[in-house]
Amino acid sequence: MDLVLTFRLGEEVYGLEIAQVQEIVEATGFDYIPLAPAGFLGAINFHGAILPVLDLTGYLGLAGTQRDQRVIVLPPSTCALGLGVTLIGRILPLERDRLLPFRQERETDAFIREVFNHNGDMINMLDLPRVLASLEKQ
Amino acid sequence: MRIDISYKFIMGFIIVVGSIVVLNLVVPQLGIPEAWQQLVSIGCAILVGLLLGWAFSKAFTANIRHLSAAAERLSEGDLSKAVRLRGSTFPDETADLAGSLNRMMESLRDLVGTIRNSANKVAEAAQGLSATSQEMTASSHEVSHTVEQISRGAETQAEMVERSSRLIREMAVSVELVVAAAKKVVLAANDTAQTAQGGGETARVTTEKMKGILVEVEGNGRQIVSFGLQVQKIGKIVEVITGIAQKTNLLALNATIEAARAGEYGRGFAVVAEEIRKLADSTSESAGEITGLIETIREQGQQVQASMKQTMVEMDAGRSALDSTVTAFAEIIQTATNTQAKATSIAELSQKQAQGAGKVVEAIDEISRVVSDNAAATQEVSASTQQQTASMEEMAHSAQGLSALADQLLEAVRRFQLGNERS
Repeated sequence: MDLVLTFRLGEEVYGLEIAQVQEIVEATGFDYIPLAPAGFLGAINFHGAILPVLDLTGYLGLAGTQRDQRVIVLPPSTCALGLGVTLIGRILPLERDRLLPFRQERETDAFIREVFNHNGDMINMLDLPRVLASLEKQ
Repeated sequence: MRIDISYKFIMGFIIVVGSIVVLNLVVPQLGIPEAWQQLVSIGCAILVGLLLGWAFSKAFTANIRHLSAAAERLSEGDLSKAVRLRGSTFPDETADLAGSLNRMMESLRDLVGTIRNSANKVAEAAQGLSATSQEMTASSHEVSHTVEQISRGAETQAEMVERSSRLIREMAVSVELVVAAAKKVVLAANDTAQTAQGGGETARVTTEKMKGILVEVEGNGRQIVSFGLQVQKIGKIVEVITGIAQKTNLLALNATIEAARAGEYGRGFAVVAEEIRKLADSTSESAGEITGLIETIREQGQQVQASMKQTMVEMDAGRSALDSTVTAFAEIIQTATNTQAKATSIAELSQKQAQGAGKVVEAIDEISRVVSDNAAATQEVSASTQQQTASMEEMAHSAQGLSALADQLLEAVRRFQLGNERS
């Protein structure tokens, strides 16, 4: 059974599969990254390695002033990157039969793969590969 | 040389007789016939007798006529001319009669002159008297009028005095009322002083109690402050707990992720991690509730502190108000005592005033009596003045009568002509 880590970006609730998460760490402060692209909060020390942290809320164009101190760290196999979100939620079991397809053509910049209906709460499943691809383009 | 008429007659006779004798002697010697001698002697004797008688009676008759004319003039009132007889070598009784007539005329002239003068003077005096009496009558009328006015004034005065007396009596009654009121004021001031003393005592006791309460409230305030500090400490502890819960939550999340990565082997661990996460969540929730409660307690504590400060301020104000109340009571006592003293003196003064008013009433009664007497006297004066006026009129009348009498007298003596020297 797959698990989904939920988090809020602004007012929207997003979800990311546990398999795509390495760890959640607490980041008390960010180090300044020279020549960093727009949308980066800075860098943190992650087990001795420098890890850049992306402001996912701002990157997806969602309004939000609040930010969780905890940062979602992606697996090194995918990308050495931390994701700053508005608020980290909880881990839920993913029920495949309750996934609703999302029409890509309607909102191209939403980075949503599917929508998971969890007891009436609509959780947008983040399309991480597209986010990373979009980052690569910059 | 004065010779009486009788002597004159005698002398005439003697001359006639002598001439007869002489003739009887002379004639025969003249050579006249004897026959004629007797006739010549008788004729000569008759001639002598006629000559003598003529001469003698002529003078006498003339004097008598003079005297008669003078008497006639005198009877007609002409006193201007004196009787003058022809000068005679031998004046006789006619001359005496003329002298007597002249003296009588002189006396009459004096008398008439005196009468005329006196009558004139009497007439003037009577006129003056009449005028004076008329003036006096007029004055007397005025006096009568004035006296009537005075009489009326005296009546008004009597009325006024009566009214004054009534007013003073009313005033005396009012003054007695004042005395009664002042006595009541004394009693009331006494009550007030006693009440104020009681009130002052109560206020002092209350002030003492309030001071105690204030001390207690200050103690309570300090306790609440320390309570607030302790609650803040609890808050800090809760913050620590919250941090621990958050860290536990993070660890549980990561443990779940690790367990998922471990696959089937990690399933049991994932369950434990979920339980831990739940515990951490409920801890966090409880900590949040505690934080909320602490916040509420803090707010309420602040409110209590604020209200206590307010209370203390108010109690301070109350205490100062009570202080001023005590002072006010003291002042009230002072004032009441003063009022008592003043009211007492007012009562005494008013009693004196009442006595004085009584005396004034007596004096006014006396005045009233005097005024009544005055009025009576004025009426008497009025009556006297009227009598006087009547007397004056009578006198004027008499003066007019006197004047008429003087006129009559003048009229009576007017027909006497006194001549130039006396007119």
